[in-house]
Amino acid sequence: MSLLPRRTSVVVAPATLPINNRLVAALPRAERARLLASGKLVELVFAEVLYEPGARIRHVYFPLDGFISDIAAVDGRAALEVGLIGREGMCGIAVALGVDVSANRAMVQGMGSALRIGVDAFRRELQRSPALQRLLGRYAFVLLTQLAQTAGCIASHVVEQRLARWLLMSHDRADDDTFSITHAFLADMLGVRRVGVTQAAGTLQKRGLIRYARGRVHISNRRGLEAAACRCYGTDCDTWQRVLG
Amino acid sequence: MSVAPDLQDNQLLAALPAEDLEHLQPLLEPVELALGEVLYESGKRQAHVYFPTNSIVSLVYVMENGASAEVAIAGREGLVGISLFMGGDTTPSRALVQSAGSGFRIKGSLLRKEFDRGVALRQLLLRYTQALLTQMAQTAVCNRHHTVDQQLCRWLLMSIDRLPSNKLVMTQELIANMLGVRREGVTEAAGKLQKAGVILYLRGRIEVIDRSKLEHMVCECYEVVRDEYARLLPWTATARGALAMDSGPRSGPRTREP
Repeated sequence: MSLLPRRTSVVVAPATLPINNRLVAALPRAERARLLASGKLVELVFAEVLYEPGARIRHVYFPLDGFISDIAAVDGRAALEVGLIGREGMCGIAVALGVDVSANRAMVQGMGSALRIGVDAFRRELQRSPALQRLLGRYAFVLLTQLAQTAGCIASHVVEQRLARWLLMSHDRADDDTFSITHAFLADMLGVRRVGVTQAAGTLQKRGLIRYARGRVHISNRRGLEAAACRCYGTDCDTWQRVLG
Repeated sequence: MSVAPDLQDNQLLAALPAEDLEHLQPLLEPVELALGEVLYESGKRQAHVYFPTNSIVSLVYVMENGASAEVAIAGREGLVGISLFMGGDTTPSRALVQSAGSGFRIKGSLLRKEFDRGVALRQLLLRYTQALLTQMAQTAVCNRHHTVDQQLCRWLLMSIDRLPSNKLVMTQELIANMLGVRREGVTEAAGKLQKAGVILYLRGRIEVIDRSKLEHMVCECYEVVRDEYARLLPWTATARGALAMDSGPRSGPRTREP
């Protein structure tokens, strides 16, 4: 496989789609069918950039598997992940809030597939469907809650806890115990220096919680990882469950 | 101090079409917000949504060990209590009055009804939600990457943007809690700003005397959030200029074309 990300390609017509996205699955049947018909199933290619900060949003994405990082840039260079979107959510919530310019960068972090809908078609569906409006309102609230949590977490928890949290969040969305991740990337995601990631990953590995080599991480002991993460991981899950579950 | 607030002093309310505001008016109750007052405790149910006029409310994330960090602030450009109309029930953050003053409040259930009924109100509140999401993300970045000095500059600028003057009544302890740093860190940072002739700081009163210097010292986070607010809620940019009359010339927010 090429190391450079390929362009997103359409792989299947959505009528035959399994409804793995939990937001889409929560819609009443007719509205769900309309939403599916308005979009296409596309492949999410690792490291593909879906939105750039300040640029117009052309599509929204409901991941079926795979996951997308919401990354805030700082000083034009360093970055920080402020959200992770998988089949529990949607990429492009700004559009549902009436804004079609992205504030952050959205980048595919775990490859997979997503239902992709053009902004105009999505807006039409949103206007027609009170159920979709309510659902995405609740989802926006979940995001807001999780973001507040993340801002607090970043300010006060140590790298090891945050790395454990991040690995759990990715694991939840990856459908697999092993997934790709580079060192430099992890450092960016967590907003720390590489050596900080090396140390934290080393500690988790020594404790038998993960195996990490050559850009692949394997979750060996999920329970142990849950104990090593800050409480923010559990709180995030509870928030989703309470508001959308 | 206890002059009744005007609905037009909250920029979200002021941006509503006249008939929507008229409809909302009888439901809005003027309130005085005292320094340090807790409007919501994290994890608890909330009864009211607040629209500050000349007060500032800080959303503070409280850690399990009791330490805290500010994740966003809201003043006359916004509101406090988004979860009440977005379909959530509680909030993860504590809402704490960081600058005393007035505002309005409305019962959450009533606003929720209006939110479902009125297109203009809904659009406005959703846009504000997006602006707040941006502010939170940038605060996260700032907490991670910038020094206490820079964070204090950002915090001061964001605060005076929401106030009718350049004067703040504030304790160091409160600032330390907001920024999630120790008091000594704030003392040191404030001392530097005072020495540089940027602020006057005396017994819980801070006056910004050289705003342009402060803008020069602040990290980019301030500008990112200010520009995003100007883009998403353009009326706040206009109103800010208009409200800045008693504090000398301020550099107006730069609008950025998307």
